[in-house]
Amino acid sequence: MKAEYVNPFLLASHSVLEMVLGARPVQGALAAQPNTFTTQPCCVVCGVTGQVQGQVIYGMSLATADNIVGAMLGQPIDSFDALASSALGELGNMISGNALQFLAEAGWICDITPPTVMRGPDVKITTISIPAIVVTMTMDHGELFITIGVQGRK
Amino acid sequence: MPKKILITDDALFMRVTLKNLLVNNGYDVVGEAINGKEAVERYSTHHPDVVFMDITMPIMDGIAATRAIKARDPNANVIMCTAMGQKNLVMEAIQAGAKDFIVKPFSPERVLESIIKVIGK
Repeated sequence: MKAEYVNPFLLASHSVLEMVLGARPVQGALAAQPNTFTTQPCCVVCGVTGQVQGQVIYGMSLATADNIVGAMLGQPIDSFDALASSALGELGNMISGNALQFLAEAGWICDITPPTVMRGPDVKITTISIPAIVVTMTMDHGELFITIGVQGRK
Repeated sequence: MPKKILITDDALFMRVTLKNLLVNNGYDVVGEAINGKEAVERYSTHHPDVVFMDITMPIMDGIAATRAIKARDPNANVIMCTAMGQKNLVMEAIQAGAKDFIVKPFSPERVLESIIKVIGK
């Protein structure tokens, strides 16, 4: 996968996670994601459409999701309710939205779809025809696994 | 008399965050809308001093809603507040009549400065 599609999401992840969570994530190595993979127990899925298209999936453990949402709401959460889901979805939306700005600066005009939050064990996702890479961002809140499966369509 | 604000965003988290920020700083949040169509309807009902407007929303997006509100009230003060800050989108929002453009994530200071910039203290 071309770095010009991936780097905008990595740059946006660092800046948004720092601004929203006060986190300085440590980025792991990029690795190829198999076409079919088992997601983390909690995921935010954002679609990308336009001149670059595909999906970006922000995966994490349930504990990490609770930690992230607690930080966003300013207090620990008792249950993962509609507000918690909305907060986590908005985090994915903000990272993806900010990435579009970097893509636009490189000449790629795109849009994102509203985020979908999924929770549950052993969900298998298959990216049919778009190869994907995965990168881990390690923070005090836990690990965020970002799967980026996008390709250009100019 | 506190200034009246209408918040438009399909994300519950953003509505709650903005509302807390604005109420804690002395503003009167007179309504919340979860899409552009609701925003247009609630603008007519509440006549807010400022509308915070997301762009990507179901049913009617924020750009179309801004055009509809400005058509009814050319003096309406709309501040776009969105996760997407591409230049073409900023231009489209300004052409639709938005007076400022805030990219999420935002700092509380950026939001409060924007209100003062648009309607004064």
